[in-house]
Amino acid sequence: MDIVPQLIVNSIIAGAIYTMVALGFNLIYGTARFFDLGYGALTAVGGYAVFYFYKSLGLNIFFAIVIGMLVSGLLGWLLYRFIYAPLRERKSSSMVLLVAALGAFTAIQAVIAILFTSQFQTLSTSAGNDHVYEILGGVITQVQLITLIIGIVLMLGMALSLKYTMFGKAVKAVGDDEEVSKIVGINTRVVIGKVFFIGSAIAGLAGILVGFDTGIEPTMGLSLLLKGVIASIIGGIGNIYGGVLGAFFLGFVENFGIWKISGEWKDAIAFGVLIIFLLFRPQGILKR
Amino acid sequence: MTKNGKIALGIVVLIIIVIAFVSMSGNKETGPIRIGFVGPLSGDAANIGQNAKAAVEIATAEVNAAGGINGRQLEVMYEDGKCGGTAASSAANKLINVDKVSVILGGACSGETMAFAQAAEQSRTPVLSYCSSVPTLTKAGDYIFRNYPSDSFQGKFGADHLFNTLGKKKVAVLYVKSDWGIGINDVFIQEFKKLGGTVAVDDGYDQNTHDLRTILTKVKAANVDALYFLGYSNETVVALSQAKDVGLKTTWFGGDGWDDPKIWSSAGKVAEGSMYSRVTSNPTDAFRTAMKAKTASDEIAGCSATAYDGTKIIAKVIGSVGTDKTSIKNELYKTVYTSGVSSKEISFDENGDLKTANYEVAVIRDGKAVVSK
Repeated sequence: MDIVPQLIVNSIIAGAIYTMVALGFNLIYGTARFFDLGYGALTAVGGYAVFYFYKSLGLNIFFAIVIGMLVSGLLGWLLYRFIYAPLRERKSSSMVLLVAALGAFTAIQAVIAILFTSQFQTLSTSAGNDHVYEILGGVITQVQLITLIIGIVLMLGMALSLKYTMFGKAVKAVGDDEEVSKIVGINTRVVIGKVFFIGSAIAGLAGILVGFDTGIEPTMGLSLLLKGVIASIIGGIGNIYGGVLGAFFLGFVENFGIWKISGEWKDAIAFGVLIIFLLFRPQGILKR
Repeated sequence: MTKNGKIALGIVVLIIIVIAFVSMSGNKETGPIRIGFVGPLSGDAANIGQNAKAAVEIATAEVNAAGGINGRQLEVMYEDGKCGGTAASSAANKLINVDKVSVILGGACSGETMAFAQAAEQSRTPVLSYCSSVPTLTKAGDYIFRNYPSDSFQGKFGADHLFNTLGKKKVAVLYVKSDWGIGINDVFIQEFKKLGGTVAVDDGYDQNTHDLRTILTKVKAANVDALYFLGYSNETVVALSQAKDVGLKTTWFGGDGWDDPKIWSSAGKVAEGSMYSRVTSNPTDAFRTAMKAKTASDEIAGCSATAYDGTKIIAKVIGSVGTDKTSIKNELYKTVYTSGVSSKEISFDENGDLKTANYEVAVIRDGKAVVSK
């Protein structure tokens, strides 16, 4: 059997998930210029919100997904409004912000574990019985295909709205220079707040899709976040297309890397690539 | 005196009062006898840990209902080892140094027990693990015991069963990179090759990974007769469903980490017909009923029976020699425990390992594990 087509598909599946995480992270980082660790935990928040509304309360699946995105978006906004924004206005160093974000991340994870236990849960009601499609000689499930499509649609939607809408232009301006944006009359606090809401909702959606594909657990956020961050850095941090490119690049490197050597090398390969990029092309594949 | 000076003095006085209070209240001879429990109460293997905790609670309640140990109540301090070294090591440190327990029952995952074996050995605290199977634990120290068999038994049993009983000559092995997975993998590979079989794929993966597609694709490409999959609940559920996604159809054979009702039920149809080896157990009806009342499930997860027996063995040993740690250790080597729910006779060899171990093969049918004849 030829293994390559399935490896390509596996890489694309991994890339699609990393894309989702990288998109939201990139948006927040590109605007607020700070490393939002709490973002990782919001993936779990989205996943667990759907778990609660869809599996426990039995609501309609699409309705539950929308609520899941709103919940994580809202929580992201609250984190910004009540933790990050006051710190930023006090001109706290990025170290202080990072530690605050780490605190938020840990606290959210702990609360989820208390409410839902730390056990691994599956979101889909028919594990392993997903609709399966064959493309290029490899196999992809319905959920994975949906993830891929949503990732690409989100990328295009974000790129277009940043370029053509008033809000998008304001976001870009804040990302370029927050002080000058204030001077020309942009309410930066509101703009960044909205960015946090949108970015966090995307994180929630990423967590939901991962939950349908494999499953959720309170600690799922960190590994997702790290892969999303690697993707962003490889692709060019703050650049939307770059983040997506980086995500797929990472997916391919990881999955082809363990073709001939043992699977335990996967993370070593991912972080090795990150270090190589940081050393030799810190601006990433595409510059902002 | 300055304000700061007054505060400092106040704190010192407070500390003295607290110390005095603590040392007065802890009356050693009549208070409860404390033993420690370490197991994965959260995380990947939480189901096993929670079931074991339930079993220990049942055993403790029975001991106390029968008058305790020489009139003193048995009290168990439960600590979460999270199936990993860091958490288990701080849990054990707390039990040894803060709670001053006489014995630690645990940990469950091999990584947990290995993490604190040395600390326990140094503080001369006997450890009785009810679930750790890693071969290296055999030589971990004089105070380290287990009433669960070493993987050198299990890896050998797996190789023999796959090669001789099932007639699988070409296999793939995927193992979780924990002490447990690596331990069985090493023994299995050695034994399987000795029997004349071929190991086409031998890949490890990280414990928390949820993307096993590529290594499963490699297994599919290798066209093997069977897959020996060494994973805990989460990875196994994910792997079974992703194997179906990538179209891998083969005979699955798992280790005792599969002895968890979660795998049989949440993996649904994809787990149907899969087999795994587990330690033969001998649960009484009373134990079954008590466990069902605690866990609201008909199925008893692996290591619950050994956790129950472990508690009873410790109670018996403390009953005959008291709470001195070294006497407990010496007595454990001499103990022969016969009324167990895990196996009919439990006794330890000079390394603190079980003298004998019997395995059976279970098959997953309709979300339940049934013993294969």
